[in-house]
Amino acid sequence: MVLELRNAKKTFGEGNTLVEALKETNFKVERGELVAVIGPSGSGKSTFLTIAGGLQAPSEGQVIINGNELSKLNEKQRSKIRLQEIGFILQASNLVPFLSVDEQLELLNKVKKGNMPNDERQQLYKDLGITKLRKSYPSDLSGGERQRVAIAKALFSNPAIILADEPTASLDSDRAFEVMELLQHETKSKQTATIVVTHDIRLIKYFDKVYRMTDGVLELDMTAYE
Amino acid sequence: MFLAWSEIKRNKLRFLLITSILLLVSFLVFFLSGLAAGLANMNREAVDKWHAQAVVLTEESDKSLYQSSLDKGEADGLGAKETAVIGQMGSIADNGKVKKNVVLFGIEPEGFIMPKVSEGEVAFSVENGVIASDVLKDEGFAIGDTLELSSSDTKLEIIGFTDQARFNAAPVLYIDLDDLQHLKFGDAAEINADLVNAIVVKDTNWSKLKVPEDLEIIEVENFIKNLPGYTEQNMTLTYMIYFLFVISAAIVAIFLYVLTVQKISMFGLMKAQGISSGYLAKSVVAQTFILATIGVVVGFGLTWLAGSFLPSAVPVQFDLQTMIIYGLILITVAILGAVISVWTIIRIDPLEAIGG
Repeated sequence: MVLELRNAKKTFGEGNTLVEALKETNFKVERGELVAVIGPSGSGKSTFLTIAGGLQAPSEGQVIINGNELSKLNEKQRSKIRLQEIGFILQASNLVPFLSVDEQLELLNKVKKGNMPNDERQQLYKDLGITKLRKSYPSDLSGGERQRVAIAKALFSNPAIILADEPTASLDSDRAFEVMELLQHETKSKQTATIVVTHDIRLIKYFDKVYRMTDGVLELDMTAYE
Repeated sequence: MFLAWSEIKRNKLRFLLITSILLLVSFLVFFLSGLAAGLANMNREAVDKWHAQAVVLTEESDKSLYQSSLDKGEADGLGAKETAVIGQMGSIADNGKVKKNVVLFGIEPEGFIMPKVSEGEVAFSVENGVIASDVLKDEGFAIGDTLELSSSDTKLEIIGFTDQARFNAAPVLYIDLDDLQHLKFGDAAEINADLVNAIVVKDTNWSKLKVPEDLEIIEVENFIKNLPGYTEQNMTLTYMIYFLFVISAAIVAIFLYVLTVQKISMFGLMKAQGISSGYLAKSVVAQTFILATIGVVVGFGLTWLAGSFLPSAVPVQFDLQTMIIYGLILITVAILGAVISVWTIIRIDPLEAIGG
């Protein structure tokens, strides 16, 4: 089990102003699984994703990433877990504007203390079709190219989990499918556990499991493929 | 350093601006320090040339050489290792072409305050012969010139030059003490033959010397500090330099803070990805260090370059050690200016940055 949420719950405020952003949730994802979390805006998808990614702690329950229970760790340790175990792909491109594609990954190489050999990095470029973009800066790239580079960053040094928040939101259909095919391929080939938060039901066909978030309740959606 | 340098390379113009400002501030600091040293030197170089430890003046003179008048026989009673007496008089010297404000130092040729002569005769070989500060050479004075003084009918002759001989911003004319007494007192010279302005003491244990009640012995540095305008002038320039340090810290702080605020979401995303606040803070500090170092080094070079083109009338004297210290202070205060940005980075919540 790579990621597990046990009775995780997130509330904000108290008394009359109490809001349950995430109701008691049990969730598991295995290596090589590509999972979708769908639901309307404001349903709690992002709260779920940030809890799963160790960016905020649940009000109750546990979050376990690769055997590490996050509630027992301090912010510095959680930050290290995020760096080593999780790759983030965000709705807005999470590229550093003044770094070239090569430098984006070199930065990760430096902060992760160089745990990805150069030949693997070249292979990653090749797999994602960004070899020719290595010297380009984010401002020179199209939306699809930027997301491919963002995926390369997320996959850098083979994290156990990839968390993607609306990774296709800014893309047209062709580019969106292209990005999903890439995510699917990388999830299977690198045996990563990938969770994608999306409201785009055109993408359902790519996922192994689909969860639906409604008013803070996360449930496996067996009807999503129909 | 990687992140810091990459950003500088990519946004050259933006960082060129802050470096230019630091360059100008460092240029101003270096130039002012040179000016402070040069002006201070104009006041004190003739005194430094004595290589003495203390000066005996009358108590009522309030440490002023001009106002002090004592019997030169007091020197024998001091018990100091070495003493030299000095008479002083201010005047305007005119060689027929140029008039210049000068200070006459009446000295005994065998005394240790007799200056080394860089050009001309080494002693007072003729009556009313003077060894002049070589600053006067640049003003149009030469060996053999006859000088008329504003306060006397006696004519002096320049018989030699000596370097680094200015006192209270005026070039010094060294003259035999006896000749000075005749200049100062005229017909009363014989009666006042023993009157001098001060006794210069060369003795490291000068503080243990006993002086009569109506006299006081003061350290040479204290004597210099009491020269008219010396301390006020030095303090003014020193405070200007200190304010420039504060200003440069403020400029860097404001500039970096604005840059940091513009990058809050980027830093937040990086923190969400697990890049530590420490790494990002180090990057900002490294960036400041790079910019400040470039600014200071170029400012340093520019100051030397400007100094070489300045006319000799501008009293600038660059001291390498002082400039290095001021340069290091500038880099340090610039880094202190980055503290607000570092604090801002530490406080960024990655959750807010990704809109969670």
